[in-house]
Amino acid sequence: MSISKVDLFLMVKGKHFENYQISNIYNRLTGLRESDWQAVYMQDFHDPTSIQVISVLAGSLGIDRFMLGDVGLGVAKLLTCGGFGVWTIVDWFLIQGVAKEKNGEKLRQTLAHMPNESEQE
Amino acid sequence: MIQIRQFPYRPHDYETEKASNSYLMSLIAAIAGLPLPIVNLLATLFFYLSNRKGTYFVRWHCTQALVSQVFLLGTNSVGFWWTVSVFMGDVDFTNQYMGYMVTLVLFNLAEFAATIYTAIQTRKGIHVEWWFYGNLTHLICPAK
Repeated sequence: MSISKVDLFLMVKGKHFENYQISNIYNRLTGLRESDWQAVYMQDFHDPTSIQVISVLAGSLGIDRFMLGDVGLGVAKLLTCGGFGVWTIVDWFLIQGVAKEKNGEKLRQTLAHMPNESEQE
Repeated sequence: MIQIRQFPYRPHDYETEKASNSYLMSLIAAIAGLPLPIVNLLATLFFYLSNRKGTYFVRWHCTQALVSQVFLLGTNSVGFWWTVSVFMGDVDFTNQYMGYMVTLVLFNLAEFAATIYTAIQTRKGIHVEWWFYGNLTHLICPAK
């Protein structure tokens, strides 16, 4: 039962994470207590595709960085008009990776407070 | 000019994507930044800095892209300011200038084609080393 929940979670949310994080997430979610699943499902992850689109359309205003929670970088990007265009172009190629890394970190922090069933026994 | 070599390990899919992006980004930056040659160097430098803690494959290809842009900056800057001087009337339009510009265009086209080829091959996980730049990259980017 628990395994299929993990599979379902990765099928739905898998694209929100970097490939190399998937196996760790799988191992960590396997054996998670039933009561903790609610918190995992409730997590709101950044959608890398949406962030990519926003970066292309409004990257020069730093909106992509604001959405990811990098307020300082967002302000810097806004004030410099996207780093005079250079930063905007660089972010087109970086922002999906940044979003996935942040999602992985967010999930890791959530799971850090949750013991799994094997640890309890 | 371009050699396919064996990399110390088989890179994962996410590594090949990032490595390939370093070449693609330098192309886009070069097109967007024309005629200023510094723009693509800055873009490649920022991309390299953001990936400096990445895996060896990603770092290696970001460094090769950066090294190639450094040499391109030198040659293109000379061409850019020589052209400005000719337009301002400070320097005459000479055969040397014409020869340099033709060479510069050919050099840029060769680099452009090589970059596209390398981006495609790197995306497939094939390790491509450029003549001279590849050896220089090995010196700058050790395996750790």
